[in-house]
Amino acid sequence: MSETLLEMRKITKRFPGVLANDRISFDLLRGEVHALVGENGAGKTTLMKILYGLYSPDSGSISIKGGKLSIKNPKEAINSGIGMVHQHFMLIPPFTVLENIIIGEETQKFGILNEEKPAEKIRGLMEKNGLIVDINTKVEDIPVGIQQRVEILKILYRGAEILVFDEPTAVLTPQEAEELFKTFRQLTAQGKGIIFISHKLDEVLEIADRITVIRKGQVVKTLDGNEASKSLIAELMVGKPVLLEVKRPDVSPGRVILEVRNLDLKDYRKIAVLNDVSFTVHSGEVYGIAGVEGNGQTELISVIAEAAPIEHGDILLDGESVVNWDVRKRRDAGISHIPEDRHKYGLLLPFTLAENLTLGMHHKKPFVNSFQIINRKKIQEHARRVISIFDIRTPSELTPALALSGGNQQKVIVARELSAEPKLLLAAQPTRGVDIGATEFIHNQLMEAKKEGRAILLVSADLDEVMSLSDRIGVMYKGKIIKEFTREETTKEEIGFYMMGEKEHARN
Amino acid sequence: MDLSFILFFFVKGLEISSPIAFAALGAVFSERSGVVNIALEGIMIVTTFTIVWAAIALHSIWLGVLFAIVAGSLVALIHAVVSVTFRVDQIVSGVAINIFAVGLSRFLSQKVFGQETQTPTNAYLFPQFLGINSMAFLLIPIALIGWFVLYRTVFGLRLRTVGENPEAADTLGLNVYGLRYAGVIISGALCGLSAATLFPSQWISGMTAGRGYIALAAMIFGRWDPVGAVLASLLFGYADTFRIMFETKIPIPGQFVQMFPYVLAVVVLAGMVGKARAPAADGKPYEKGED
Repeated sequence: MSETLLEMRKITKRFPGVLANDRISFDLLRGEVHALVGENGAGKTTLMKILYGLYSPDSGSISIKGGKLSIKNPKEAINSGIGMVHQHFMLIPPFTVLENIIIGEETQKFGILNEEKPAEKIRGLMEKNGLIVDINTKVEDIPVGIQQRVEILKILYRGAEILVFDEPTAVLTPQEAEELFKTFRQLTAQGKGIIFISHKLDEVLEIADRITVIRKGQVVKTLDGNEASKSLIAELMVGKPVLLEVKRPDVSPGRVILEVRNLDLKDYRKIAVLNDVSFTVHSGEVYGIAGVEGNGQTELISVIAEAAPIEHGDILLDGESVVNWDVRKRRDAGISHIPEDRHKYGLLLPFTLAENLTLGMHHKKPFVNSFQIINRKKIQEHARRVISIFDIRTPSELTPALALSGGNQQKVIVARELSAEPKLLLAAQPTRGVDIGATEFIHNQLMEAKKEGRAILLVSADLDEVMSLSDRIGVMYKGKIIKEFTREETTKEEIGFYMMGEKEHARN
Repeated sequence: MDLSFILFFFVKGLEISSPIAFAALGAVFSERSGVVNIALEGIMIVTTFTIVWAAIALHSIWLGVLFAIVAGSLVALIHAVVSVTFRVDQIVSGVAINIFAVGLSRFLSQKVFGQETQTPTNAYLFPQFLGINSMAFLLIPIALIGWFVLYRTVFGLRLRTVGENPEAADTLGLNVYGLRYAGVIISGALCGLSAATLFPSQWISGMTAGRGYIALAAMIFGRWDPVGAVLASLLFGYADTFRIMFETKIPIPGQFVQMFPYVLAVVVLAGMVGKARAPAADGKPYEKGED
């Protein structure tokens, strides 16, 4: 029996109007990965903020290695051996890796920084855990996966034994996620305990020794990693059976809606980010782009949806070239776009849902009259209708978008883009960071759009999503579509193979 | 043009640059901690009055500058309380202090000296060196110390952290409010040195003439860096010196020559577009804990 590192007993936390944590008990053993799963708003984050001293619980107790204590602030949490890798990294981009790691735990003499000793200690930690980073680079110059290593080094540097990871794989590619799990195993082998918060049930099943499911602030059940299954966890999370398989409507593809011909694009360093990309998407068809992120998918979407300039090639919508059209003309012609970064490009967070749901159509009747004066009543009516069709959970259509959960915000975008009745829908990472219930809903909406004969170009870092929704799949690598499959003729493994850039003749 | 004239141009330029440069240096500390300090102008108004008042009253310019530093720190403290603790918009707080400072200095001048817009002449002055106020020579060492503090000390690293990402600082157990107070108060104290180099022989209402704002521009041009801010201040200061010394000697209407430093400021700042990067959390109030 391993030692209990952490025991949280009957933690209760009430916010005005919400019981965020209702007598939650949770423990962590030395050497285990204990997953904490639940839908958005179930209370996972609140519980972890209590553990980290950011919130104080209304009642309940916390003991670490058998000793009861109260954690009043993050400093005390750090001193008690708790380290947290937050979902949004707590790094300072213009600082070096070394600076980021030592802030708050500096080695000093008369207030003057010493960087030699910390550098030595960090090098030791990097070797021991296989987390190699150049400590003199600025954080803004390194990719997200490596930034996460910096976060891990930061908490190890402080001697953490209880490591909390809040949705660490949300920003990672499948390969980076595998790397992270390797690190997990190395850390638990050293006797550390890991609390793993995630939405991705495959990952939870792969790595967790135990799984605690919470719903509406209460622990539903703690499962053994071996006895759990995806459908069981999903059902416990949502409170009702969930269809994890998407029901694909039987629609035969119609005419060509989108045709991309020989697209070329170079970035500011003159490196090709799109390289002779050609493909077509038919009406009633989902064309999925698979690939490790950063292989040109973002650029491909932006040249089609955002009218980013291209160097060579052509983009045809329903047979007509759109290359010289601005964004409004493209939208009016029937291109809709679910952008990959919903906060940056998808929503105006402080604006109401009614306003957000009309964006992009706000200049058209009936939302404006002939003098371009906005008709608020029409906008609100439209919003109420869309909110009910798309099951957006909100107090009213006049609520600002920022007050909604991530899943509901994403539903707002999907609802807006589909209510424009597009010919072509560009869906970039449509369910990233969205909980199971909303994911299921969004997938069904995409299938509904397919049934209505819309053409859908899907880009997703989640290979399962691409596999389950697409009719045809193009694998993108270094700006090129290196292989195209129909869904039936391929497997996840084969696609993964091409995602790494392997050539056909290299296989056997 | 003889050699001594050129030498005089260079030292005079240093003297004229100094009030701006000390304030710009202060602005660096305030803004790197995440607090926009547009109150510099008001703080300078108070310190320029205090130094003259204290020097006359206590018969020592050294006590005068000490009091000016304290007074600058106190006014900055008001800005910190209002904008850090009470999270009032930092620009609004700064503008309020600037207006308040004009009234306060005139009120005190009336009370102490019986005249509202200027004080009597102060005979207790800093020693001269190479024909200028010797305090101006402090500028270079203090700029270097400022650079060292910001980049080579624990305090500096933490101060910069708070200016970039106070939330991260909080999760690392740093005292966000304490560090921001420190940054703002340092900026006020440095305005005490601005007063020492501006014109300590007499206070006249309006004598700061927008130097606090020019200092902010210099800080931006200097990319929020102590050495950069001082170099930018020197550029503005020497442009002004050039104007003063050559205004009557060139066949261009005086008004155009007088515009020179300001046009330079606009051109230089316009050229900075996209290049300068403010601290990420600059100007944003931070609310601790339970939200």
